[in-house]
Amino acid sequence: MRELINVIYWITWKDLRCELRNRENLAAMLFFALNILLVFSFSFAMDDLTAILPGLIWTAFGFTSIVGLGRSFVPEVQNDCVEYYQILPVHKGAIYLGKLVGNLVFMTLVGLALVPLLVLFFNIDLGGATWILLLIFLAGMAGLAILGTLFSALTSRIRAREVMFPLLLLPLSVPVFIGAVEATRGALAGDPLPLYRHWIDLLLIFDGIFVIVAFWISELILDD
Amino acid sequence: MTDLSRLINRLRRWERGIGIAAFVFLSAGLYLGLVTSPPDYYQGEVVRIMYIHVPFAKSALLAYTILFAGSLWYLWKRDPVVDNLCHATAGIGLFFTSVALVTGSIWAKPTWNTWWTWDPKLTAFAVLLLIQVGYLMLRSFVDAPDREARYAAAVAIVGFADLPIVYLAAEWWRTLHQPLSISVRGLSLSREIFIPLIVMSIGTSLLLAYLLAVRTQMLYLERLLIAKRGRMLAQSTTTSPLPPPPSG
Repeated sequence: MRELINVIYWITWKDLRCELRNRENLAAMLFFALNILLVFSFSFAMDDLTAILPGLIWTAFGFTSIVGLGRSFVPEVQNDCVEYYQILPVHKGAIYLGKLVGNLVFMTLVGLALVPLLVLFFNIDLGGATWILLLIFLAGMAGLAILGTLFSALTSRIRAREVMFPLLLLPLSVPVFIGAVEATRGALAGDPLPLYRHWIDLLLIFDGIFVIVAFWISELILDD
Repeated sequence: MTDLSRLINRLRRWERGIGIAAFVFLSAGLYLGLVTSPPDYYQGEVVRIMYIHVPFAKSALLAYTILFAGSLWYLWKRDPVVDNLCHATAGIGLFFTSVALVTGSIWAKPTWNTWWTWDPKLTAFAVLLLIQVGYLMLRSFVDAPDREARYAAAVAIVGFADLPIVYLAAEWWRTLHQPLSISVRGLSLSREIFIPLIVMSIGTSLLLAYLLAVRTQMLYLERLLIAKRGRMLAQSTTTSPLPPPPSG
């Protein structure tokens, strides 16, 4: 258990340290998300966006996660780190969790930078549901990061990696999108919590299932 | 190796019987559904496409469940024939899913007056199709056979999360697609409709089993052939009187 936590800690630390030095990933994600928002804002030039707004927000987050997470394992393969990971005497799920925590930090940072812009561009009224929205935001991001990190590991050593990553991530993260979009819709519309509570539950349940499955599966993916 | 050949032998022995049974059930079901069952009070003759749509949709879900169980089994036992079975299930499941989507679309045109609508149940079913396509594409992009099997199993297991959504969508959202007719609340169908439906469902399940048996054997033989060819090539180079070509 101690070794497991150590491995998670050091891999997260390494990823954050690398990112602090070159800031490539964060910059790419942020500017990609900005581009998407700009395209959206003139593609859907209508007065009342409330009906499609939750969908727009999560589409933007979803595409951004494709850009940010798709390359997550590429440096590890290019620098032959994977070989060293294999001789670590711990469950390979620890490596996955380490990468996951790092990715989650990046995605949350980019997402938090986007929220003021969303409020600005689309004239959103956060209302009294700010904390609930933050919870939905974190749970949705976690869902995307859990699956994104897993498929990034899975596609890092196959042909046509750039094609396969979104082709796997988008259909398989549909439960996350459904939960996040419906919960966001409820929270933005100012509904009372019990009306959309089950969507948040759905999101959290899928997060839980996916993280357990991914932890177990990563042993099979990273172990050769 | 003994386990492998046992499964293959069993499949070979059952294959013909399952095929004949599938043919009998499908013909009987089609006769009952298209000839003897009464037209619907509201929908008229259009309702008859349901006798194809519903059984194929159910079998598509069954196929994905087999794929999920087979993937777990493969990861547990690492039996290559089970991997062949999973590979076969994904392809055949894709066929069943497509048939269900196409017949549903043909039925939707006269009934809902549109070929396609973004109803949650329809969307979740289309997602199931995309998951199977992704699964098959992934398999074609991985070079090592062992790695291919493990990666594919991982995708199949994660994708299983879509199945409850397909199954329960009409209950969760109260949408255009009608809710489940057979559920904990009991049966909401009359006998004239239910009997052909159940006969057709057995027929499509048997068809699925038959196609699986044939396709699994095909994939198994294909793998055997590749392995044999590799061994023969290796032998011919080692016993060849000529010196091996300079490497590099």
